Amino acid sequence: MAKKTAGAAAPTGMTLHAYQVGFGDCFLLAFHYKTARDRHVLIDFGSTGLPPTAPKNQMTLIAQDIAAICGGTLDAVVLSHRHRDHMSGFETNAKHNGPGDIIRGLNPKLVVQPWTEDPKAKKDATEPTKAPKGDAVRIASLEAQRLAIQNVVAEAQILAATGTGDRDQRALQSVVDEGMEGILNASAVKNLQSMAPADKHRYVFHGSASGLGGVLPGVTVSVLGPPTLKQSSAIRKERPSDPAEFWMLEDLDRLFWKAQAMNARFLTRSTKANGNKGPFPKARVMRNVPSYARWFIPRARAARANELLGIVRILDKEMNNTSVILLLEVGSARLLFPGDAQIENWELTLQEKTLMNRLAGVTFYKVGHHGSRNATPRSLWNGFTNRSKQKRPTRLRTVVSTMAGKFGAAARHTEVPRTTLVTALKDETDFFTTQQLTQKGHTLKQTIEFTF
Amino acid sequence: MAQTTARTRRLTVVAQDPAVCTEQGRILCVPAEIPAEALDPGPWGHRVQVIDFDATTNQLLAPLDAGAYLDRAGNLIDPFDKASDRTILTDPQFHAQNVYATVTQTLARFERSLGRRVNWGFPGHQLRVAPHAFADANAFYAPNERALFFGYFTGQHNRTIFTCLSHDVVTHETTHALLDGIRTRFTDPSSPDQAAFHEGFADCVALLSVFAQREVVEKALQISAREKNLRMTKVQRGDQPLIPVDALTRDSLAESVLLGLADEMGRELSAVRGSALRRSVELEASKTILDTPEFTEPHRRGEVLVAAVMQSFLEVWATRLDSLRRYGSFLNVNRVAEEGCAAADYLLTMLIRSLDYTPPVHLQFGDFLSAVLTADVEVRDDDGPYQYRASLLSRFAAFGIRPASPGTTQQPGVWARSSVVETTNERSHFDALQHDPDEVFAFVWENREALKFSKDAYTRVLSVRPCVRVGPDGFVLRETVAEVMQRIDVTAGELASLGVKRPRGMTAPTPVTLNGGSTLIFDEYGRLKFEIHNDILDKKRQSARLQYLFDSGYFDGDTAAFRPFAEMHRRRSVSAAVPHQGW
Repeated sequence: MAKKTAGAAAPTGMTLHAYQVGFGDCFLLAFHYKTARDRHVLIDFGSTGLPPTAPKNQMTLIAQDIAAICGGTLDAVVLSHRHRDHMSGFETNAKHNGPGDIIRGLNPKLVVQPWTEDPKAKKDATEPTKAPKGDAVRIASLEAQRLAIQNVVAEAQILAATGTGDRDQRALQSVVDEGMEGILNASAVKNLQSMAPADKHRYVFHGSASGLGGVLPGVTVSVLGPPTLKQSSAIRKERPSDPAEFWMLEDLDRLFWKAQAMNARFLTRSTKANGNKGPFPKARVMRNVPSYARWFIPRARAARANELLGIVRILDKEMNNTSVILLLEVGSARLLFPGDAQIENWELTLQEKTLMNRLAGVTFYKVGHHGSRNATPRSLWNGFTNRSKQKRPTRLRTVVSTMAGKFGAAARHTEVPRTTLVTALKDETDFFTTQQLTQKGHTLKQTIEFTF
Repeated sequence: MAQTTARTRRLTVVAQDPAVCTEQGRILCVPAEIPAEALDPGPWGHRVQVIDFDATTNQLLAPLDAGAYLDRAGNLIDPFDKASDRTILTDPQFHAQNVYATVTQTLARFERSLGRRVNWGFPGHQLRVAPHAFADANAFYAPNERALFFGYFTGQHNRTIFTCLSHDVVTHETTHALLDGIRTRFTDPSSPDQAAFHEGFADCVALLSVFAQREVVEKALQISAREKNLRMTKVQRGDQPLIPVDALTRDSLAESVLLGLADEMGRELSAVRGSALRRSVELEASKTILDTPEFTEPHRRGEVLVAAVMQSFLEVWATRLDSLRRYGSFLNVNRVAEEGCAAADYLLTMLIRSLDYTPPVHLQFGDFLSAVLTADVEVRDDDGPYQYRASLLSRFAAFGIRPASPGTTQQPGVWARSSVVETTNERSHFDALQHDPDEVFAFVWENREALKFSKDAYTRVLSVRPCVRVGPDGFVLRETVAEVMQRIDVTAGELASLGVKRPRGMTAPTPVTLNGGSTLIFDEYGRLKFEIHNDILDKKRQSARLQYLFDSGYFDGDTAAFRPFAEMHRRRSVSAAVPHQGW
């Protein structure tokens, strides 16, 4: 599980730079050593909405600040999962001066991503002749999802181009916005995949080595999530209630995306072959729309646009559970970075007693998923022994990177950050939220010092 | 064009879906018997219009000419009689016929059971059907578009799978449109039961329609015999194919016929249709199942309803087989299949008829069960040798569903007869009471106290429908069914004054709508026979309903859980996480 760099001198402290990215995550960890140079790890760099007070070039300013702190070289980049609010900062531009270009220029020695992003695995798993098993099934499913979204976005663009009137324009635009930029993140994905030499990429899962031990002497790094398909199935089997149901759902889930992906391939083929004639290339097509169909056709198109939007949103929700969960240990300090992991991702960890014992001693917790209600499992929270209503030196420290008012609603208990969680964090931990930066006027970041 | 006086016609349709084949490996097709009508190209009849528009390719495919269905001499033609498998799979005009005939057949089935015309749930008479609406593994009823949309997608070996060729999928979607017409308020945000009912009921109708086709049941029995290695065709007496009795118990029918057919059905389509049939066998009966978080999800909850109905079907079928002539320890397969179809067909009639006996708003499974029982008792006093009602009662009870009304010793679970003695019946006009909403409203107004209608609420008669039902004894039952709805708009802060509990966390200015009302059933003399009442001021029910809606996010604009059928169907095919350990 844990990879320890034997004999290496442990760091004496760390500075955590929590950047103001509005709704998103961006953390730079600077580890300080007595006799060696500082080591720098960037965990996520993305935003889906900046506070109104932030300048337009906020992301570039952040990238420049990171470059300045790490002195031109990053030791590692961790992408918790492929969501825009965690990776938009890795986007490059044509002029090669985008924030992603700046980070690229820092030549990270290691890039850590969830196993579901492994481009090699994807290639194998989509081979139709091989019956995918175990992890490959999940990868195939995720790859299918990616293909499906590409397809959906392409279809939305075709629909929009046919000029269907204003009835469906908004839905189509949302498909493109949410699908293209929110999920596909093509430029950022490409940038991350080629940011480090081929052998310096780690695609990690629960219990796997992160590779971070090699760049952070004296720090024990454990990967707690995401689980592989096999691991989560094992957990599901142990559930008291009807394990078959989970299998069925898993199966349906896969079938759904598989169908979507096969569609994508089919459409690409048929578009190339016969100019998007669909399944009946030889059928007689009515060039002039008869009057009886004129009411119906724009409505059918609008229904389709909404359908496409629905597909994009389903996938968006699933992505959170591919988050990398990292536990960093130095002496008695334990720092927990769970990305946006939700309960399904946490489940395996929650069932392992020895792990839970280690997690009980967490001294710093990056609050999961911007403080949403499903990302800090109750049993994990209840187990934290450093929580305390009284101020004291060993009290648990917590940071949430978030922006209220973007998602959910208090009336429904879905507001992000969730009020009850924030109250608990305030009452029982030394709590910092990036929203405080906005309250002070525009501030780029908050630094928090740790001594080990 | 020459006229024909024929009342019905036959059009070839796919019996279940293209994966279900004959012994010879051909796609199992059947002639669907449907009401004859003057068709325009589409096919386009008086209630169903097929428009083959594909939003993905942005193409409108041409329909067959009207002459294809009616020759100059006035003879009705089935243009796809004895069509090849290739034609069935690749000819979009056959697909158009397939959806036209299956939708029309389902509509006719409802009208026959209810003894009246059934309206769609939207303004207008004609339901549009797009057989190749988009490239996607989905199919749904869209009330705003007044349409059924059927997608197509690529399956294994690059074969295109057309959802419009699946009898159960088409029937399921048509049922949504019909149910929406019969009870428009069943799509309202209400209880988990109501959210689940549309799905569950549509699945019940679709599956029972499949089993009401003899060809399909025979096929399922063949599969079951093959699975059990019985080599059925070898076991014969004279020219009668036989099947051993021990393969025909309720449990073995479940295992073999239901699961057998579930396996046979196009597997790739389960992304569209879900697994209701499979789960109706595999779902273990438990009285607390509906209390578990997992079965609060509408599509999962609907499966419980399907399981209860399909298990009743098997029980009745097995009972019906007791009276068949035995050949040693064997039965004639054809007769076994006939009994299966008869059981499915009768249950289907019971379920459809029950809709008239459901409350107009806030349906719960217990209400539905009472409605099914009452509808049947009204045409048939005695439960008969096959015990349909007893089976339903026991199977529903096994899943913790009890009838909403206790009923009587002889007729458990039925709605109580109206005890309202109308003092002002003299002022009612019998004839108008059978069709005129204003007349029914006048009746309600005169008797509003006795009927327990709130005086403060807005009251509206949603529908008045005279209907004629024929019992198994040949006698005719005439009734008039009227739906009356009440509505009160308040703020959450005012709920306390009505005795309704405000969900914790709901702010006082939040606007809240309370619904209630009655289904009034008048007998053939215009007397009130039943009033199936949902009191708008039922504190317990309204408090529970608001709490559920609040928890489900209805009040903060995230109405995903209450979106129309497209969303529901997509949710059916991808797992929805049940949050736990949350904040």
